[in-house]
Amino acid sequence: MISIKGLTKTVQNTALLCDVNLKLESGKILGIIGPSGNGKTTLLLSLCGLLPFDKGEITVGDTCIRAAESSVNSEKLWAFRKKSGIVFQHLHLFPHLTVLGNITEAPVQVNKINRTEAEDEAKVLLEKLGITQHMNKYPEELSGGEQQRLAILRALAMNPEVLLLDEPTSALDPIRSGDVRNLLREFAATGHTVVIVSHSLRFLRGIADYLAFMGKSELIEMNTTENLLNNPQDDRTKEFLHHSELN
Amino acid sequence: MHSLTAFSEPVLRWGGDPSGGAPYVYADPANPQTYTGFDYEFAEALAREMHLKAEFVPTDWESIVASLQRKEFDVIIDGFEPTEDRAREVLFSKPYYLFRLQLTVKRTDNLITSLEDCRKHQKTVGTLVNCAASRLLDQGGYKSKAYQDPVGAYQDLELGRVDAVLMDVAGEMFYARQNPKLKAVGKPFQTGAYIVGIRKADTLLLGRVNAAIDTLVNNGTVERIFRKWQLWDEEQIKLRTTKEPVFEMTNTKLNWSEGLIKLLKAASVTVLLAFGAMIIAVILGIPLAVGQSNGGPLTRALCTVYIEFFRGTPVLVQLLFLYFGLPVIGITLPGWLTAIVGLGLNYAAYESQVYRTAFQAIPERQWQVAYSLGMHPLLAFRRIIFPQAFRIALPPMTNDFVALFKDTSTAFAIAVWELATAYRELANATQSYLGIGLVVCCYYLAMSLPLAHYAHKLEQKLQRKSTGILSSGADK
Repeated sequence: MISIKGLTKTVQNTALLCDVNLKLESGKILGIIGPSGNGKTTLLLSLCGLLPFDKGEITVGDTCIRAAESSVNSEKLWAFRKKSGIVFQHLHLFPHLTVLGNITEAPVQVNKINRTEAEDEAKVLLEKLGITQHMNKYPEELSGGEQQRLAILRALAMNPEVLLLDEPTSALDPIRSGDVRNLLREFAATGHTVVIVSHSLRFLRGIADYLAFMGKSELIEMNTTENLLNNPQDDRTKEFLHHSELN
Repeated sequence: MHSLTAFSEPVLRWGGDPSGGAPYVYADPANPQTYTGFDYEFAEALAREMHLKAEFVPTDWESIVASLQRKEFDVIIDGFEPTEDRAREVLFSKPYYLFRLQLTVKRTDNLITSLEDCRKHQKTVGTLVNCAASRLLDQGGYKSKAYQDPVGAYQDLELGRVDAVLMDVAGEMFYARQNPKLKAVGKPFQTGAYIVGIRKADTLLLGRVNAAIDTLVNNGTVERIFRKWQLWDEEQIKLRTTKEPVFEMTNTKLNWSEGLIKLLKAASVTVLLAFGAMIIAVILGIPLAVGQSNGGPLTRALCTVYIEFFRGTPVLVQLLFLYFGLPVIGITLPGWLTAIVGLGLNYAAYESQVYRTAFQAIPERQWQVAYSLGMHPLLAFRRIIFPQAFRIALPPMTNDFVALFKDTSTAFAIAVWELATAYRELANATQSYLGIGLVVCCYYLAMSLPLAHYAHKLEQKLQRKSTGILSSGADK
């Protein structure tokens, strides 16, 4: 479950986020659309506790972080960070660790899980995405699509309540994006929440329960996917959709 | 022979070392543009007698014979003594002064009363490189330490870095006799001679020089000069009565097996210096890099000043400063430690920049990913950031270490007996620059090549794991 109230972030007199409000129940997938540079990635960073904000509060599951708490490395903030996993557009895999190492590093180091146990769990995940044969390779030896699946598995290995993805489709070929879609669906079906920032309306249409449109640093409107695509309320949403083909 | 320039009167170019060269030849403190000293006055008188114009060519004492051979000047006049090894390279004139050696100790020292005591009590005796005293000490099996100039030797005696100093009376009189903290022990001993050194081929010049010396000795010019410098004694009368030199000739013959062992010992000192300094540099570089990147304004400024200072001034000057400057404020380190600390402080400045560049090359997102996985900063640094940065830093660090290996040779300036010092000493004593030089180069290579090889292997091993930062597969 995610709840954002009055989220505001300003840097040098420029508002990156302005009074953003959002609510998403567990088990749902939300897609965020909107022109580039409108604060979508900023929203994701705040949501996983990596970017301090000036006003408002964010609740993930049972933990609520207020603006004042967002900039202090407290135990609470660390607990908050662990609630969500993030997959960046440029993935940022750990180049010095193998595929298996990338997935097990955090469970072993942070959760103090026995390495063999962590590796067994990782192998189950790898199996699902069909990259078991690469588990002893290094990230650079994988294809773009394989790297992305690895980045998702790395986040999922910490069993977060929420998974955040920034432009996940840019590296995927159409066939493989089906694998990812299934994985995310399955993840959501087990009571988790997924937020995806993407340009690909086609991808979002096939996976998202809700869509939210972000205008200039504001969340303009949010609705079920079909409603927002077929019956947008705000002119800015209409214009954006008008210019975007379903690609 | 003397240089014949078509435009000016014929000159006699003579070589001497003016650095710490008093009272032989040195820059006149009252008028630093000009030189003075008894050898200076003698050279002037000699040239005049030969109807030439004296022209002083400042040179380095240790390699003065080599410079003569390279024809940088026509004659050596610099308290130059005849030795068997020099006899192979140089013609000797008649002596113009007979010198003796004097032992000096600290005023408070009651143990050492003679050179023999130094041997008995295993005391270290300081002296000048490549002179009668240094040869005597070498052959007698004394623990000794050779300096580039007398000032350093007597200063280290004051500071307790050596236990005694043995030097020509001329030097001793000028630098130590008036010093209340030092005292001369025993009588001057072992007569040697100062002569003029001339290239082997210049026999004609030798004849003219000898004739001129005869005149100057017999007409009292030499006596007048040395009386003025308070160096005249009854011993000098012998110069008039005999035509044959009456001095003892010290000799050094290179015993190759002994020489190789000596060089091997020096090489081990070089290894010690390099590793010691690198450890300091690698460790001290960390706080410097962190301070410069993440410190407050004051820390940042201090780190920058440190780094720019050590990178912007020669390491040689830094070593001299530490060795001779620090004792002024009461910190007296032995030479080898000074070299380790000095080189370490210097290279720390370089390592800090290597670290900074390496860490700056790691994208901020790597930290963010680690944080989002619940890793605290220290854990993220240790497991995620450092291994990546290390891979980037390793090649430049290896380069620096090989460079540091070679830079240990600057320690000769503070009388540390490392490989380059050993080379200069042995080569000068034997005039075998080529043979010993090749051996010394082999020693350096034997140390640096395995190092470079090992580092290369390590790099390859890390490279196999991955080539640095992962380029994104998600570029649009």
